[in-house]
Amino acid sequence: MRRALYLGAAGALLLSGCMRPAENRAVRDSRVGRAESSGLSLEVEDGLAAVRNLAPGALMLWGNAPVFTARATLAADAPSDWVLTVRNAMPDAELHAEVDGGEALPVEPLSQALPTVKMWRVSLRPGATARLTVAPPDWQTREPFRFAALADVQEALPRVGDIYERMRRDDSLRFILFAGDLTEGGSREELLEFQERLEAGSRIPLYATLGNHETFAKDAEEYTALVGRGSQSFTFRGVRFSVVDSSNGTLDPAVEEQLETWLAASRDGVHVVAMHVPPQDPVGLRGGGFASRGEAAGLVGKLAREGVDLTLYGHIHSYYSFTNAGIPAFISGGGGAIPETFDGVGRHYLAVDVDASEGLREASLIRVD
Amino acid sequence: MVSELPLRSRWASLALMGFLAALPSVARAQSAFDLLSAGPEWGGQDVPRDVPVRLPASVPPIRGGVEQGLAARSAPVGGMATVREGAASVSREAGEDGAARGVPESEVRAHAALAGDGAAAGASTVLAGDVSTAGAETVRAGGGAAAGASTVLAGDGAATTASTVLAVSDSAEVVPGISQSGPLAPQMKPAPVSPGLAPLSPMNDRPFKVIPVAASVLPGLVFHGLGPWLAGDGQTAKRLFALEGTGLGLIALGGVPIAFTGASRRTIAPLYAVTLAGFSLFGVSALANLYAVTSPAFDPGVPASSLPPLELEMGYQYVSDPSFDYGHFVSLGALARLDTVKLEAAARLSPGEGNTQVRMGGAYRLLGEPEGARRGSDGTALDAELYGLFHRYPTEGFTVAGAEVGLRGRYAMARVSPALAGSFAEASIGTSLQGYSYPGAVNEGNLDEQLLFTFGYGVWLGRGGPVRGDALLYYDHRKDGFAGGMRTRGGGVVGSFGLRGRALLMNDWGVAAEVQAGGAIVGRLSLIYAVGGES
Repeated sequence: MRRALYLGAAGALLLSGCMRPAENRAVRDSRVGRAESSGLSLEVEDGLAAVRNLAPGALMLWGNAPVFTARATLAADAPSDWVLTVRNAMPDAELHAEVDGGEALPVEPLSQALPTVKMWRVSLRPGATARLTVAPPDWQTREPFRFAALADVQEALPRVGDIYERMRRDDSLRFILFAGDLTEGGSREELLEFQERLEAGSRIPLYATLGNHETFAKDAEEYTALVGRGSQSFTFRGVRFSVVDSSNGTLDPAVEEQLETWLAASRDGVHVVAMHVPPQDPVGLRGGGFASRGEAAGLVGKLAREGVDLTLYGHIHSYYSFTNAGIPAFISGGGGAIPETFDGVGRHYLAVDVDASEGLREASLIRVD
Repeated sequence: MVSELPLRSRWASLALMGFLAALPSVARAQSAFDLLSAGPEWGGQDVPRDVPVRLPASVPPIRGGVEQGLAARSAPVGGMATVREGAASVSREAGEDGAARGVPESEVRAHAALAGDGAAAGASTVLAGDVSTAGAETVRAGGGAAAGASTVLAGDGAATTASTVLAVSDSAEVVPGISQSGPLAPQMKPAPVSPGLAPLSPMNDRPFKVIPVAASVLPGLVFHGLGPWLAGDGQTAKRLFALEGTGLGLIALGGVPIAFTGASRRTIAPLYAVTLAGFSLFGVSALANLYAVTSPAFDPGVPASSLPPLELEMGYQYVSDPSFDYGHFVSLGALARLDTVKLEAAARLSPGEGNTQVRMGGAYRLLGEPEGARRGSDGTALDAELYGLFHRYPTEGFTVAGAEVGLRGRYAMARVSPALAGSFAEASIGTSLQGYSYPGAVNEGNLDEQLLFTFGYGVWLGRGGPVRGDALLYYDHRKDGFAGGMRTRGGGVVGSFGLRGRALLMNDWGVAAEVQAGGAIVGRLSLIYAVGGES
C-alpha cells in the first residue's frame, strides 16, 4: 500500500513536471539580482541584472536591460567605499546613486577599455539604503531608436564575431535583443565564452531571454546565474520590451501572469514582446511552435487585444515575416546555428526601428554572410 | 453476466456436460465443453484460446470475397504438394454427395467452397488421430481458378504429409468424418476427432515464461526481437528485429536530412512523414516484442464479425491543463456504419466554462471488410477520412475551425507472426487546414496547416461472444487537441501518448475510455448504446 502511494506520488510529480516544465525557472527568476555579503544587501529591481560577484568593497553585475535600479543596504559596520562594475552595460551608461531621502551620493567613473563594461567608485552610507540607477542619459526621451534582433548562435559561437562586426557598421543600433539559444549546450563554459566574445566584439550590449538549448544544462541554472532572468520587462525611450521564457514550447502560468501585468502597464504604449519558441510556426506542417496550438492562439490573441506592436522570435533558423493575430511577427534565427537550407537567407539579424509614438516603423533584414 | 439461455437449453447443456465429463480427459480437454463452459452463455466473456480463430499467416485477401474460412498458420512441410496432388477434386458433386448423406450444408461448404465464375477461396478439413493421419481438401472453382487449399494433420505418430495448422471461420465448421471416405483421405483410420484440436493453435506450444517478458522490457525496448528469441521463437524474433531495423533506418533517412537542412520549409513535409513512419515501426516492433511473450498468458482476442450500424455515446471528460481554466466536459458522440462508409460526430462541452469542441466527418473503407460485416476478415483495413472541426474557446477569446483529410490503416499483426495473433498495428497520416479567428478587438486571424500522424499498437477485445471491441496504445502528433503536445526541452515538437479502449459488453451496451498525456492530461469515460447491436 505504501509502495503504491509512493509510486502514485512519484507519478503525480512526473506528470506535474511534464505539464509545467518551466515552473522551476519561473521561481528561480524571482531570485535573480539578490545577494547579501560583506555587509551589503542588494536587490536589483525586477531582476534586470544578475549579481556576478559581491566581495568586500566590490560589486559586479551583468546587466540584462539598458536601465535598471538596485537597492543597496549597507550594514553600519561595513566599509563605505565600493567599486561597482556593470558588464553588458550601455556604452554611455551612467550611475546615479542616492540615499532613500533623495540625497545624491558621490560617484566617480573609472575608465574601462571595453565599451560595454562600466565601472564606478561610489561611497555608500553605512546603515542606510541607497538607490543605484544605471542608465544612459537619454533613456527617458521618446525619440525613435534602432535595435538589433538576433537569435540562435549555438554551435556557431566561434564565428559570432562576424555578426558583431557587421553591427559595428551601424552606429544607430542601441542594443541587441536576443531571442534565445545563445549556446549549443547551455553550460557555464559556453556561456562565459559567449559573454567574452560579446564584450570583445560588440560595441553594444545584448539583452536576452533563454532558449531551449540553455535548458540542456541543469535546466538553465547557469544561464540564470550568468545572464539573468528568462522572463523580464524593461522600458527604453518610451517603448516597453518584454521577453518571456517559452523554451519548452509553452508559457508557464506564473510567467503568463507576469506578462499580463506588463501588457496592462503598456496597454496604451508601444510594446515589443520577444520569446524563443514562437507560439505559431508559419510553416504549420513543421509545427515548430508551441506544444499546444490552443495555448498559442490564446496567447497571441491576448497580445493582440492588449495592443502589442511587434513580436520577435527565434528557434527556427531562418527569417520569416508574418502576422499572428494581426501583430507583425518576425523570426530571426540567423545567429549561425544549422541554417534552414533553400531559404536563401543565411546568417542575419534584424534592424528594427521603433518610435514611442508610432510603434514599429521598420524592420530590415541585415545579411551577415 | 446473467445467462440468457432459456431453461430448456440449460438442461441440455447440463446433459452435455455430463456426457463430456465421462469422456477421457484428453478428449475432454479440447472438446466442445471447453467452448461452452468458457463461453458467454456460462458467465465467461470469451471462448477458449484453442478455438480455431481467423489468424492467417498466409495472408488472406483483404476483401476476400467469399467465405474467408481457413488459412495456414505455420509453415507446411514438404508433403503439402503431395497432399494437394493426391487430393481428388471436390466439386459440386461432392457437395451434393454430402447433402445426400445427410451432412449439413454448412459442413459441406466447409469442404468445398465453390464460386460460380471462377473465384473460390478457403476450404479445409481438420483431422486428428492417434496414428499417422492425412487429410486434404481442395477447391474447385467453376471457371477453373481456385485458392486457399490447406490441410491439418495431427497424430501421435509421425505425420506423413502436410502439417499446416489451420484456422477456421465461424461459417466453416469442421465436420468429423467427412473426409474419412472417398479420395480425400484414403489412408485414414477412423479416429476420434474434435473441433478443438490442439495443433490448431501454435499458442499451445508457447508457455508463458517470465524471463523473456522481463527481457522484452529491458533491454527488449532497445532490442525488439529479444523477448521472442529468448522464448525460442526465432521466426518472430527475426521479423521484429527486421521491423525495428527498418524503423531505425527510416528515422535516419528522414531525421538526418531534417537536421542538416535545418528543418527546411521546402522539404520538411516528406522528411517528417518518413521520420514519423520510422518511429511508428520502431514503436510497433517494441510493443510487438512485449506482446509476443506476454500473449501466452491470456487468450488473444479476435475482431468482431460485425459491429452495430449505430452507436450513441455519452460520458464525462476531464482535462488538466495549467494553461486553461476548463476542466470538466460532457462528452457526446455518435457513430454510424453504412457498409463501406462510417460517419462519426463527437462533441465536448464544458458546461461551466463554455469551451466547445465539435468534430464531424466520415471515413470510406478503401480496403478491407466494413466494420458492420467483417465476414471473417482479420481486421486489416484502410480508410480515407474527412473531418471538420470547430472549437470555441470563450475564455481565451478565439475560435478555430477547419477541415482535415487523411488515410488510416489497421494491420493484423498475425500476418507478421502467429505469435502476435490478437493484436494489430494502426497508423494514420493526413493534414488539416484551420482558421483561427479572434472576435472583438482583433480583426485579423490566422490560417494554419498541420501534419496529422498517429500510430499505435492494439489488441482485439472479445473472442466471438457479445464482447466486441479493441484497445489501443498510441502516439498522436496533433497539437490542436485537448492534450496538445508534450512540453519538452526540444520545444513543442512531440505530440501526445494515449491509451483508449472501446467495447460493447452486451448486445446493446458498452463503454469507451481514454487517457491521454501530452502537455495536458485528459481522461474520458463514456457509455455506449448500440442500436441494432446483435452480434
